[in-house]
Amino acid sequence: MAGRYVGERVLRLEDARLLTGRALFVDDLQLPGLLHVAFLRSDEAHARITRIDATAARSRPGVLAAYTATDLGDYWRPGPLLVPPPPIAGLVFHTATQVPLARDKVRHVGEPLAMVVAESRYLAEDALEDIVVELDPLPAVTDLEAALLEPASLVHEQFGSNLAAHVQQRKGDYAAARAAAHRVIARRFHYDRGAAAAIENRGVVAQWDARVEELTVWDTTQAPIPIRNGLAALLGLRESQVRVIAPFIGGGFGPKIMMYYPEEVLVPWAAMRLGRPVKWIEDRRENFYATTQERAQIHDAELAVSIDGKILGVRDKFLHDTGAYDPYGLTVPINTQCTLLGPYVVPHYDSEFTAVFTNKPIVTPVRGAGRQHGVFVMERLLDFAARELGIDRVEIRRRNYIQPDAFPYDHEILFQDFRPLVYDSGNYPAALEKAVELIGYDGFVKQEQPRLRREGRHVGLGIVSYIEGTGIGPYEGARVTVEPSGSVRLATGVGTQGQGHFTTFAQIVAEVLGVEVGCVQVSTGDTREFTWGTGTFASRGAVVAGSACHAAALKVREKILGLAAPLLGVPPAELVLEAGSVHVRDAPEQGMRLGELARKANPLRGAVTPGTEPGLEATAYFGPDRGNAASGVHAMLVEVDAETAAVRIKRYVVVHDCGTIINPMVVEAQVQGGVAHGIGNAFFEQLSFDENGQLMNASFMDYLLPTALDVPSVEMAHIETPSPLNPLGTKGVGEAGAIPTGAAFAQAIEDALAGSGVEITEIPLSPNRLFELLEAARGAP
Amino acid sequence: MIVEGTYPLPGTPDVIWNLLMDPEVLVKAMPGTKELVRTAPDRYEGVMRIGIGPITAAEFELVILLTDMKEPHSYAMQIDGKGRAGFTRGTASVELSPDGAGSMMHYSADLQVGGKIAAVGQRLLDSVSKLMTRQGLEALNRELQSRLGGAAV
Repeated sequence: MAGRYVGERVLRLEDARLLTGRALFVDDLQLPGLLHVAFLRSDEAHARITRIDATAARSRPGVLAAYTATDLGDYWRPGPLLVPPPPIAGLVFHTATQVPLARDKVRHVGEPLAMVVAESRYLAEDALEDIVVELDPLPAVTDLEAALLEPASLVHEQFGSNLAAHVQQRKGDYAAARAAAHRVIARRFHYDRGAAAAIENRGVVAQWDARVEELTVWDTTQAPIPIRNGLAALLGLRESQVRVIAPFIGGGFGPKIMMYYPEEVLVPWAAMRLGRPVKWIEDRRENFYATTQERAQIHDAELAVSIDGKILGVRDKFLHDTGAYDPYGLTVPINTQCTLLGPYVVPHYDSEFTAVFTNKPIVTPVRGAGRQHGVFVMERLLDFAARELGIDRVEIRRRNYIQPDAFPYDHEILFQDFRPLVYDSGNYPAALEKAVELIGYDGFVKQEQPRLRREGRHVGLGIVSYIEGTGIGPYEGARVTVEPSGSVRLATGVGTQGQGHFTTFAQIVAEVLGVEVGCVQVSTGDTREFTWGTGTFASRGAVVAGSACHAAALKVREKILGLAAPLLGVPPAELVLEAGSVHVRDAPEQGMRLGELARKANPLRGAVTPGTEPGLEATAYFGPDRGNAASGVHAMLVEVDAETAAVRIKRYVVVHDCGTIINPMVVEAQVQGGVAHGIGNAFFEQLSFDENGQLMNASFMDYLLPTALDVPSVEMAHIETPSPLNPLGTKGVGEAGAIPTGAAFAQAIEDALAGSGVEITEIPLSPNRLFELLEAARGAP
Repeated sequence: MIVEGTYPLPGTPDVIWNLLMDPEVLVKAMPGTKELVRTAPDRYEGVMRIGIGPITAAEFELVILLTDMKEPHSYAMQIDGKGRAGFTRGTASVELSPDGAGSMMHYSADLQVGGKIAAVGQRLLDSVSKLMTRQGLEALNRELQSRLGGAAV
């Protein structure tokens, strides 16, 4: 679908509000009588709670309440299992979800023990010091392998081990493929934890209005409607009595889809009990433990290849750190398992993972959501195979791609949406050739790199492919209303965290109704405006909610044509919608404004044909059969200082295919932001825990985020292979930039240091770690 | 966190041992200690205030248990400090051996640090603990010298 607005570089409609400070964020709320919350959090990673007494805190002036687990009564209950495990034969899954306040044991540093509500945050924080807590420390489970083999203790005693899940998915007969292989490339890969580090931390404000018996909650969530439903059930209210608003949010990236965070069930509860509005805003140090994180994994993987570099099969066995609880099920490791296959024909695949409970913060999806691990393992194995077989690294990828005429392509395993991993469409060779051309692969390898090497400079190139499974179900909805003023109101249930929904959704509706994009006013993330939906995750906003907007707009268009045709005296097929009017084709003077028609659609007197719906309004829903497969190639040039191991990115190229593009600027911004995230993940960011489960770098002094100086302007090209799974033909793009970055870094750095013996099998790297690898390689015989 | 080293002190092991068992001396040898009370023959309790990087004046309630006392040669300690800024706990040992006219002190500690001091003070912990150890030993040295009538080391 392309046209007047879809596919155009429309400036973002929300930016005026954002740039002039008029956009509402949760912390902007100032309500009369507002109370403030602080949480007492565990300093211990693993300990039995022997005593907790908040009596003294309650008597401090300015403190209204101090709650511990026992004060919650029946309200204390573990959170829901958000994503149940998919129906895979032989799957083992142990459910252990987070609790509002720790009662018997604490299982990670930062787990909340008590909540204080006071007239100010200062008073609330001071009162935390009055709470007496006695914790009897237990050995912390931090090492993934030791956690299973020789556990020092059990995170959840009831399971008898620290195993959270075990899943094996197989395709074909890997053992036979291995036996027939010319080479088997086997390596161990490590991927460590990072934080999402959204610029806005989490926050919740809740207000109970006793006169109308309505609870209003402002929450930085990516899933306002499920939060509304959950709060209603927990608090014994009707869903219609709870309004959850997810206003403008300074970045989501995944952790804000987790639910229910202890704070988001406790703050509304306290507001109802105390009869006053209550606010909690997470501070940055809290964010480092209280907000969910990325995941550590250890892979033992091997690739069986033929003499000409054809993939015969892959075997991968990995450990996945799920943290102290596993409310998000298996989404992350299943993404890893599926995404490893990438754009390649892998005839035989045997993938097995064990998820492990540890005394670390909870792991849930963060931009990429496990996909980057799979990409890293596969792309690295291909790099090593290319080197061992003497095949060019671009060529080995070219030889293994699924071809453009092979779609739909069935990988014969299950994806995170419980549907078969069947790719809908793609054109991988085209993206590769485009990237080769843009980065100047041949010229670099044959001329520039040898020339610079002669000058003693260490420059390298990385070029890798990836698939991003996006746009999964179940569904989203939208309501489109043409108002008498002629402006169009669009409401949808997904929340927005900076993706440009206010613009892309408006473009889709404007295209269908023939109005200016600026006429379409979008509401997202307010459960009073739209009551059905699931949330913003898995790069699905444009695909699923966008398709629902499209469907609702089409219904309104039908209403417009049906109403206007008799008024204008022509059949509907002879009418066009243009510039906010409906008129007879080639006769703009024979028409009427949509606003006027909207008034006619809502008569005050007289009679209508029975069955007529008033207004120019329609609601529609969209749910795809299954997720679709976006894809792309990243290529980068780096220069490494061989003495200090500092790495400078000289160029970064992304060729991306997200199907039909609704707004190229929005897509490019998503990719650019994703690459920034990916660079952080690959080379700067690492959450360092000691063996006792203490996070040792819980501040931006020590946790390094890439800055504007570290992130180059990404050079981009688009391939558009429409998806057959939705009417727009679009695919997701939100996570693409972050997924293959580590793999590209590793290949580029190895290339720059060719001959040094450095082999990169771990992410994140850092100048420090790279220096150690260089030293180790130098010391090797 | 491991802290260990050796330090020459004037005086025989007996003299040093007696000093080390005196809370008034120990307060001086442990920088930041606001009070220290011997609540049992083998138990000290007190309050310590220290600053590590962005954390200033963090107060810890301190309990030290002395174990394996082999007067005047060696003893071990169980250290348990707790406060709003986190905790530290672990074991330490002190050995004294004659060294010429004086003694050689060998000390080692294996401390676990948690909470805010671990989270935001980590990169300064090593240098702060080394600094505190050095200040403490120097204070002990001064105390010994004054008690021994200014005898040279």
